[in-house]
Amino acid sequence: MLPDRKLSGALRYWAERWQGVLLSLVVVVATLWLAFSGQLGLYIHPRYFVFTIAMAVIGLVLVGAGFARRRGFEVERTGRVATTLTGVGVALLVIMGVAMVIIPPTTLTSATATQREVNSGGLGTDDDAEQAAALIGTGDFEQLSVREWVSLLAQSSDPAFYADKTAQVIGFVTPDAKDPENVFYVARFVVTCCAVDAQPIGVPVYLPGWQAEYEIDDWVQVTGRFDPSVSAAATDPLAITPVEILPVDQPNDPYVY
Amino acid sequence: MVLAVFAVRALSPAFVDDQLSGFELPDRVQDTLTLAISVIIESVPFVFLGILLSAVVQVWLPHGVLARHLPRNPILRRASISLLGMFFPVCECGNVPLARGFMVGGFTVSESVTFLLAAPILNPITIITTHQAFGWDGHILVARLVGGFVIANVVGWLFSKHPDPQSLLTTRFAAACAVGSTTGHDHAHARESRFSQTTEIFIRETSVIMPALFIGSAVAALTQVFVPRSVLLALGSNPVWSVLAMMALAFIVAVCSNVDAFFVLSFGSTFLPGGIVAFLVFGALIDVKMLALMRTTFTSRTLVQITVVVGLMSAALGLLVNYVA
Repeated sequence: MLPDRKLSGALRYWAERWQGVLLSLVVVVATLWLAFSGQLGLYIHPRYFVFTIAMAVIGLVLVGAGFARRRGFEVERTGRVATTLTGVGVALLVIMGVAMVIIPPTTLTSATATQREVNSGGLGTDDDAEQAAALIGTGDFEQLSVREWVSLLAQSSDPAFYADKTAQVIGFVTPDAKDPENVFYVARFVVTCCAVDAQPIGVPVYLPGWQAEYEIDDWVQVTGRFDPSVSAAATDPLAITPVEILPVDQPNDPYVY
Repeated sequence: MVLAVFAVRALSPAFVDDQLSGFELPDRVQDTLTLAISVIIESVPFVFLGILLSAVVQVWLPHGVLARHLPRNPILRRASISLLGMFFPVCECGNVPLARGFMVGGFTVSESVTFLLAAPILNPITIITTHQAFGWDGHILVARLVGGFVIANVVGWLFSKHPDPQSLLTTRFAAACAVGSTTGHDHAHARESRFSQTTEIFIRETSVIMPALFIGSAVAALTQVFVPRSVLLALGSNPVWSVLAMMALAFIVAVCSNVDAFFVLSFGSTFLPGGIVAFLVFGALIDVKMLALMRTTFTSRTLVQITVVVGLMSAALGLLVNYVA
């Protein structure tokens, strides 16, 4: 049966016949393109790559079949309110669908790091602590990442423990919540499933007036030792006194897993 | 048409590449998009899998075969249905199309609700990941499994007492079920190949589920960007508030049940075990994204009832763990 020629019929026909197929197509295209360009990790944990890509390929086959299908497609007639709602819904979905295809993929920003509070979660498991302890044992402290330093700092804030250890960490710049003038974090997001659950972690750096030189969300490599924080207001009792801060490119896998 | 689609596919990457330099949105808008897209990309494979399994139940298996082989006694029947997730490990988003397929294939409303609420927890992937995350610590795994089973069966039992179960469904879906059960799919589409019927199911299900998923993800992302996390974290060590705060967190974060254990593990040091259990039970069954998905099938009133019962029981379970275990 041909769809009703009037707007409401056409809209409903569009919503039921094409909406799902087109939205699926958008997701499949976005997924495959992200996988192809190596950026899927910006959204989901690598353990899902194979499954996600496999299902995207299957989805593509189904979408193709959906487009190719020639059989008549019947839809019910609906009232004016339902039609308006459908119209609004379709408009919203078109915007989201287009955004998904044309907006360049990026990492989460400091806005989310601040909103979720740096070091409020995302760490503290025994595994992290063991890994950090093992790396400490090797004496090669510059190998320790943000994640390992954060789990060490969570266990001990004894300045003597850190006195002979130089840290070298890479992360993005995000301000300390309590003393944003003098302290910033070298931060990373820990992702367990997808970007939605990203938890910010970070190592505090004491550098009064850092805003003059670095912008929030800049990626930097900071080298220095941990000292009791000069800032009385800062969140953490220790902070790196930087010897060197180098601007670096965002790593290929900006999140830690 | 298909060629046009492939053209879109070929062109869109180039378009994005061009934009990479110098194209910037405000941080919060950008983050909202990133979060929403990540939920969608994470969930859609499970939705596709759920639709495929739903098509298997409706098209490839003989009509009503599952319904016939289950125990007759309603309570035992729902108890076995709540274990079906062990064979259909599709995560909570995939469960919605699957549960719809079950209903079209002859399950009652209360049986489908039981499946929908039990399967996210009582499935092999969730059990393995919860065990990996928590081992046998603090009874968390046991409390989650038993809690999920009990809640699903209690809600199923409550809905089985409803005088007019069809009124729990949206009118559109009730109509679709009626067609499925009176004619039976084999007669209605006798001339159509099974692949063609699968395509039809794919078109119909995605037209309902995908918009819901997009909207649900957008709401989840907006809430996350605009509700400060510190409000919740401040409540962690109080036996009562830790439970309620973690349920609120579960509701807005909307992480899939088969990985939420890893996520909540990072809050293990901040929150009491009862809060963790409440997160793992409540969040697996109800969250913003799930409500949007379930609204495709159930009326708002039904969803409020389910949410209230699941919420109260999860809170009770969390408090029990905090005060007794």
